[in-house]
Amino acid sequence: MSHMHENAMTRGESHHTRRLPLLALALSAALVLVATMALLPVSALAMTTNKATARPNEDGGSGVIGAMDTRLTWEGTVGGDEEVSSITLSLPEGATFDHASTRITVLDGLNRTSIDGTATSSGNSVDVQFSEGIPAGSLVRLEITNMQFPADGGDYVVSGSYTTADGQSHALDDSAAITVIANTPLQAAVSWLDAQPWVAAWNSNPFLGMFFKPQLLLTSFASLFPGWLVCLGIVLACYPFAIVLGLAFAMLKTSRHKVLRAIAICYINLLRGTPLFLQIYIMFFGLPMVGINIDNNVLGVIVMAVNSSAYLAEIFRAGIQSIPQGQYEAAASLGMNGFQTMTSIILPQTVRRVIPTVTSDFITSYKDTSLLSSVGVMELMMFSKNLTTTSGNITPYMAAAIYYLIVTLPLIKVVGIIENNIARSERGGGPRPKRRAVAGASQQASKAEEELAASAEVSHAETAKPAADVFAALSAPFVSHPTVDLGGVADGE
Amino acid sequence: MKNSMSRRQFILAAGALAGSAVLAGCGGSSTSSSSTSTNTDSSASDDSYTLVKDGTLTVVAELGFAPFEYMNDQTGDPEGFDVDVINAVAEKMGLQCEYLPNQKFDTLVPLIKQGGKADVSIAAITITDEREESVDFSEPYLDSNQAIVALKGSTETEATLNDASKQVVCQGGTTGNDWITENLPNATCVPVDDVTAALTGVQTGLYNAMVVDLPVAKYMLTNSFSDLDIIEEIATGEQYGIAISKDNPNLTKAVNKALEDMKSDGTMDSIETKWFGSTI
Repeated sequence: MSHMHENAMTRGESHHTRRLPLLALALSAALVLVATMALLPVSALAMTTNKATARPNEDGGSGVIGAMDTRLTWEGTVGGDEEVSSITLSLPEGATFDHASTRITVLDGLNRTSIDGTATSSGNSVDVQFSEGIPAGSLVRLEITNMQFPADGGDYVVSGSYTTADGQSHALDDSAAITVIANTPLQAAVSWLDAQPWVAAWNSNPFLGMFFKPQLLLTSFASLFPGWLVCLGIVLACYPFAIVLGLAFAMLKTSRHKVLRAIAICYINLLRGTPLFLQIYIMFFGLPMVGINIDNNVLGVIVMAVNSSAYLAEIFRAGIQSIPQGQYEAAASLGMNGFQTMTSIILPQTVRRVIPTVTSDFITSYKDTSLLSSVGVMELMMFSKNLTTTSGNITPYMAAAIYYLIVTLPLIKVVGIIENNIARSERGGGPRPKRRAVAGASQQASKAEEELAASAEVSHAETAKPAADVFAALSAPFVSHPTVDLGGVADGE
Repeated sequence: MKNSMSRRQFILAAGALAGSAVLAGCGGSSTSSSSTSTNTDSSASDDSYTLVKDGTLTVVAELGFAPFEYMNDQTGDPEGFDVDVINAVAEKMGLQCEYLPNQKFDTLVPLIKQGGKADVSIAAITITDEREESVDFSEPYLDSNQAIVALKGSTETEATLNDASKQVVCQGGTTGNDWITENLPNATCVPVDDVTAALTGVQTGLYNAMVVDLPVAKYMLTNSFSDLDIIEEIATGEQYGIAISKDNPNLTKAVNKALEDMKSDGTMDSIETKWFGSTI
């Protein structure tokens, strides 16, 4: 190239000095030709597009939704021998770069080069002029915040062009496609809320806007749902195990053998004496260290079951010990052995007494699943934490609170009803066995009242109808005992 | 007998003391803006900034991000690159530096935005457009990058990690967190509260990899997690800035001036050399 240049110069100067302007024209034409010829065959040396990605803007999801603000990140490497002075990126029709701000990063390896630039956006393209040429081999990253993809979704590629320091313009390779989700009905509802004046007024209050932003509440409900299912799943899966384990340790603790008692006391005290949070950490980080790898959700169920079992053991123990000594003696007088006494006299009565406390413990366990979020179980709290981090708003926590309350409030109500029923029946309220005929409709309920007598019958007639009795015993607390006026008996209602 | 007090007198005296202390406390806070302005009114009175506590630059950070900020094993005091930087900044401004108790990283920017508790937050916070919507940042004081950390000998790459069966951990609210959601959309991103818990999780195989700031990855891997390896350095060229409330623009100016002075008089270089062995 330089050789040709020199030849032309010498010829022009030595022979026809008057034709200098003409020659200069020819010369520049030749230069352009040479330059293009030099560039065309070596397209490998041109600027390459490394990738283009978009920040997910779906609340709680990983999708990119069209017609909603997101951030486009485009990365390219300047080819050899080039110096890039400007880059233009464009997206298909419908995308918009209006109101977008562009952050420019130029890197040489891992080191930042201090090159700045100005970005001008118009419609679906953005043009970035750099303050100085970007040297060959540099990595250029453009982060365009608050741009929007077209509303109807699909796969979009970022195309564009760049100019080199010598004024040449070249096309950029298309980026890999970015998948954009069409605006969902949920998103449409959010957009509708966005447009409402009352929503704007509501959100302008710092407290309401921070804690109960309607748009976010709506999207939070949708995206927290899987987390809620995980919470429910964990606590429902763990509770049967917790009850069985708890009952076993309650038996051990009330056992006559010193060693068995010691084992139960150690188990119960260790688990009740340490925070659940600590137990979760020990199990989740300790077990894998000794080579035991269990699925996060399953391990969550195990930890919750073990923790709950200790509390349940104490509840059951207290329940068993609250049954008056007379019941044991009565059972013994009927000729029952220890096992029979336990299963048909003591435990059915215990179950009735402990149901409110067990329900309360269930509520506690359900709420405590939130602690599992700290070790990466994708439950309700984890989802809302992520949402709050990305939105910078407390509303997702409020949505989570509502999800917790959906379960706990009815349960709390149930506990109240059971407690009332038990209190009433233990005070002597409710129909008497003698008045069964009078009570009529409450026959089912009155069964519970006679359960001592019933179980005594069972022991005589052995397998008479144990299933029905167990059901009656278990369901007794849930069935209301209509108060029957017994004349002289004042039941304090 | 003159010197001794009856019990009633003592109670009265104590009450009076407590009362005056409360009054003094109130007085202190109400005059805080005026007294800080005397600190800086050498130039002009509109350059004054407010501080949570007079004469003190109150700093909040997540103190589990070595070598930028961490608690000393013995004393429990914060130390690290950022701690040295903010101490030097405070010194240039003629202030004492005081750290608030450790806070979770994702609460730092909201805390500064809300104001009233801390003046500045320096915690290797990358300046992003999104965060700039909530708070102001000082001029950048350090450049950084991201890294993917996995078990030594792991065959994971950026491509293999982008799979539904993979769990990639990060510290919640960090740029690493953003990077995962944007660049590994198929993997499950698990944000946790602290780096040590995350790295322990990677070590035990609970998670496949972690994305964290490169200097932190390097430091943690040399000092405590020798069985982990940096499988990929992600050139992000992000820059750390000091977060300051938007309501306090003059404090940002003053911090920027201090940073500039530190760059020109070599303080910054010596802090960089102290923590990274060379200037960056």
